[in-house]
Amino acid sequence: MGEVELSCRAYVKMYLHCCLFPRCSVNGLLLSSSGSTGGAVCVTDSVPLLHSHLPLAPITQLALTQVDVWCSQTQQRIVGYYQANACVSDSSPTPCALKIADKISEQCENAVLLMFDGSKMAPDYRVPPIVMYERRDSKWTLKDKHTIMLRQWEETRAIATQMLESGDQALLVDFDSHLDDITKDWTNQKLNSKIAELASPANGSM
Amino acid sequence: MASVADMYDVTWEDMRDKLRKWREDNCRNSEQIVDVGEELISEHASKLGDDIWIIYEQVMIAALDCSRDDLALTCLQELEKQFSDSHRVKRLSGMRLEALERYDEAGKDYDAILQDDPTNTAARKRKISILKAQGKSTEAIRELNEYLEQFVGDQEAWHELSELYINEHDYGKAAFCLEELMMTNPHNHLYCEQYGEVKYTQGGLENLELARKYFAQALRLNNRNMRALFGLYMSASHIAASPKVSAKVKKDNMKYAAWATSQINRAYKAGHGAKENKCSVKAVEEMLESMQITMS
Repeated sequence: MGEVELSCRAYVKMYLHCCLFPRCSVNGLLLSSSGSTGGAVCVTDSVPLLHSHLPLAPITQLALTQVDVWCSQTQQRIVGYYQANACVSDSSPTPCALKIADKISEQCENAVLLMFDGSKMAPDYRVPPIVMYERRDSKWTLKDKHTIMLRQWEETRAIATQMLESGDQALLVDFDSHLDDITKDWTNQKLNSKIAELASPANGSM
Repeated sequence: MASVADMYDVTWEDMRDKLRKWREDNCRNSEQIVDVGEELISEHASKLGDDIWIIYEQVMIAALDCSRDDLALTCLQELEKQFSDSHRVKRLSGMRLEALERYDEAGKDYDAILQDDPTNTAARKRKISILKAQGKSTEAIRELNEYLEQFVGDQEAWHELSELYINEHDYGKAAFCLEELMMTNPHNHLYCEQYGEVKYTQGGLENLELARKYFAQALRLNNRNMRALFGLYMSASHIAASPKVSAKVKKDNMKYAAWATSQINRAYKAGHGAKENKCSVKAVEEMLESMQITMS
């Protein structure tokens, strides 16, 4: 199975989503703006979805549909799913995570399932606190760590930490929050700009 | 670092009143409580009178939530000095041990309380919380059921149980808990809406019809509940699209779905002033259009 590259923007938003709701399980979708190149998947963005009642169907279906529509309007596609469990010691995919990931893999061949490892999210951890799964023989299996790339990880980590310290996670809007107040933007354009600003001295693509 | 009083231009009385409001509303805005409470305690303790004890309790719990064990310990020690034999304070001591993941010791504290007073609901609920924190959902569910047999009116417990069942995908039992809550809180739109979501998730024509009815009820109680509005739209659409329904049922549900669509569009257009939600407005519009096409 191919390589997966995770962009700074995608990672930072997922990270802030976890930090905004430390007591809840949270989930969201992974998007890509580029076509797949020889089995490699480049995750360029993430959309935070829920922080309550993850296993319930209606809002999940609604969110998937809306993100799908937005993707087709913006030349992106859904390539994966992420989740962070409320219980810090348990980073294994829940049945609902597997179900949603299955659904995504129906449309996207190299779909990725990403779980956050809560126990590794302390600021002194130097490695990305994530575990990735890929679909092999109809089962979700752990991905070989060497096929997961985070370009400029140190930079990404620094940006995430800096934004957490300034309390920027309060700017993040997930789909749940959007339903509480529909004037809030679940595509998080403002946050994207802020991340881009912090990353701009960096070279290369994001 | 600037003090809270300076940053927000408030007096110590404002801070004290804010803390009271947060207590009354049972808010879990722990970072704010810690900021305001810590300053109040360290600089204005003498002015607070007897209020200080309840403030120590409130700040201590908030401090545990923010991993501020230093502050939590300070508050706890003050409370222990003042109320040496109190069960209420012992429970706080247990909570601190829970926060430090010393679950066995915490459990012992709660067992000691229950030995003395078997009707102490707080201690029983903390023991269930420990099971939940350890990921022992089945045991937590079992204990919570036993608890509810004795304390059948405990709303918080019924809601907690419904959440546990939802996480275990046991939707039938989750629905039962929500039914209890709706009976005792008939004006609470959130319970109706959650019940609708559970029924929708269970699936099947009958459950979809029930879901639609409860989403409608939630909207009657609060016409701004967007989840209920979308839920109504989706359940009516699915019923109308089902090959198993009569022409009349199909027509009725298409009417409900159309009504929901117009309400949704209205709600989004009303918020259109904000440049921020342009993307979401467009996404909703297209989604509603595309779902109409598949239905007709």
